[in-house]
Amino acid sequence: MAGKPLMRVGIGCAVAVLLLAGCATREVEFHHWPAETPAADNKADIARMQGLQAAAAATLATPQGAERAGGAAEPPPPLLKPDDAPSLKTYDPWARLNRFTYRFNARFDEALFLPVANGYRRFVPAPLRGGVHSFFANLSEVDSVINYTLQGRLHRTVRSFGRFVINTTLGIGGLFDIAGRLNIPYEPTGFGTTLAKWGMHPGPYVVMPLLGPSTFREGAGYVVDYATEYAINLGDLYRGNQAWGLGITTAIDQRANFDFRYYSTGSPFEYETIRFLYMRKQLIEDTGLHKTKPLPKPNPEEPAGK
Amino acid sequence: MRLLATFALIACCSSSFAEEPAPIQLPPAPGPATGLADSAALRATVFGTPPQDIAPLPQSVPMLEMDLALPWRRPVPQIFWFDKRLRVWLSAQKRPAPLAIIISGTGSDANTSKLSVLRAVLYGAGYHVLTMPSPTFPGFIVSASSTGIAGDLMQDGHDLYAAMGEIIAHLPKKTRITDVHVLGYSLGGANAAFVKSIDDAEHKLHIHRAVMINPPVSLFATIGRLDKLYAVSLGNGDAGIERFYQQLYAALANAYRASGRVELDEDFLLGAAAAELKSDAQFSAAIALSFRIALSNVFLAGDVYSGAGVVIDPAHPPKVGDSLEETARILRGKTFAEYFTRIFAPYYLKLRPSDTVDSLIAENRLDSIGERLRSDPDYYCLTNSDDLILDRAELAWLEKTLGSRIAVYDHGGHLGNLGDRQQAADLLAMLDGRWQGSR
Repeated sequence: MAGKPLMRVGIGCAVAVLLLAGCATREVEFHHWPAETPAADNKADIARMQGLQAAAAATLATPQGAERAGGAAEPPPPLLKPDDAPSLKTYDPWARLNRFTYRFNARFDEALFLPVANGYRRFVPAPLRGGVHSFFANLSEVDSVINYTLQGRLHRTVRSFGRFVINTTLGIGGLFDIAGRLNIPYEPTGFGTTLAKWGMHPGPYVVMPLLGPSTFREGAGYVVDYATEYAINLGDLYRGNQAWGLGITTAIDQRANFDFRYYSTGSPFEYETIRFLYMRKQLIEDTGLHKTKPLPKPNPEEPAGK
Repeated sequence: MRLLATFALIACCSSSFAEEPAPIQLPPAPGPATGLADSAALRATVFGTPPQDIAPLPQSVPMLEMDLALPWRRPVPQIFWFDKRLRVWLSAQKRPAPLAIIISGTGSDANTSKLSVLRAVLYGAGYHVLTMPSPTFPGFIVSASSTGIAGDLMQDGHDLYAAMGEIIAHLPKKTRITDVHVLGYSLGGANAAFVKSIDDAEHKLHIHRAVMINPPVSLFATIGRLDKLYAVSLGNGDAGIERFYQQLYAALANAYRASGRVELDEDFLLGAAAAELKSDAQFSAAIALSFRIALSNVFLAGDVYSGAGVVIDPAHPPKVGDSLEETARILRGKTFAEYFTRIFAPYYLKLRPSDTVDSLIAENRLDSIGERLRSDPDYYCLTNSDDLILDRAELAWLEKTLGSRIAVYDHGGHLGNLGDRQQAADLLAMLDGRWQGSR
């Protein structure tokens, strides 16, 4: 996606962040956060709850329903049984390096990334932030078109392409998500998912510098996605000095829209918890890519992801 | 998030070590594991207040994070490197206003979704609002506890009180306070009452009113009940927890496969998990697990600070970067009772040689400040007649002690009606001094 040039920025910032981290010596530090919006949040919760209840009812009523928006009728997927769940353990042979990277990310986030993202949320008007978010989402449709094609999910290829055309034209270069308003949902994909569709296991758990939890497969997919964008160089955005601006803005936009704070749990087990959740999420998503194939029975002795 | 957190706990679990005989025994909790809760109460406890029942909330609430380095902080163990500073949140009015200090529930930080609701209700009613973590939250234990061994109501009360003093001394100058109230939910409710009782003696903060929301009456009866709930719903070994995980995983995967979605987002996960949780046994398991998550952190911190050596070798404590997977697995098998017998009681019996196990248990009951609760008109309580952390005798004691200063709702389980219209209105009436007794 468009955020990959951030890696270059991150390397440049690494030393500064390491120096900043843990150097807080003042008795009291104040951090202004964007104001909470309880009335609007409650309204959204009510709408979400109603949506979830409807979706849950539909799912329970037709647990083997057709694809939600894809339109292609697929054979009903065989139901997974509890014995099909992977081991409680997670494949993490590079744990020591991963833990170091997780700590680095936490410090980088606290010292630089989160304050910048909070400032962005506090001072940039919501409509402008929405436009920026839509713009980057629209750029990512290029990867989606390519990867849905490689995955053989042509109806989704058409949909992503349609979204890109509509939002680039009617949405003024992607600043407005007109396709979303036309009920064509944004569902990005990348080369990591393509590899999964081709049958590759997630592989070892990996914590990527600045980017966070991943797996070997997703990490490889990320590199390929970046190389693809660089090769296509849409609008000449991905090379030269503008690539830096694009990468930084994408990173801020993504962070501002991601509700997570390192170690807000206060728990020393946070690394293990995030690792567990991330790998299960990947594995559940993998089951969705292989609906018609009988899934191999997981070996309870093997850690999940291997 | 609670459902996710429950799911997450399983990451830390799969086996437990052989148990050593405990030299100190905690009396078994009387009555059923679910206390006063019925099916509806268990469900309400898991899912919380339905959003459509929440009281009217303001459009905007300012958020100022305050990170404090407290002067009495103990040395920070390496594995808690991120918990050096006490983190609290202030939502200040632009004009002079009373300050409401809210203490979070068991194991929770100062910015939970429950606190957000209470913060919004109180800010909307014109209060400055300061939210504080539970003294059982690892961030508090490391940055603000004077002992490192959480769970003693009076000791935690003193630590909270001292921290509140520091925070108020460092509030932004433009925050002008006309009065101070303290409240809390669940364990935080009991903490709030103890903090006010300390202030009644020390007069440093001039706390006016205290409101307890769904408080426990006897800490150790409650934890005994939670241990029993865990044993009943998940068993004592690993089979139960693994089965729960496998069922939840298969249910989530099937719901995802049927949905045709590309990305598995949090909303979908919560909805699917909510649809999967149907029986009392499943609700009980989810509740017991969420409390066990909190216990793991409290147990670990207590073991490190006391040097008890139950899960951490005091001579070779883990360093930053060391794997804690095995520690997490061991801790998953540890009960509240074991925390009491192996960490808490040995530490406090050594600290206070005149104490006994029985006196420790007695001191950690609300009735240890019962006379104050009975005679001081500024203590209030909001609770439910189907709360799982209470039994009939405890609820009766609360009603008898507080008289007209308690509101008992018919439904809601444990915090399953937090912030609903009626409760919010009653809370504000209590804090404002307008409370005239139950309807």
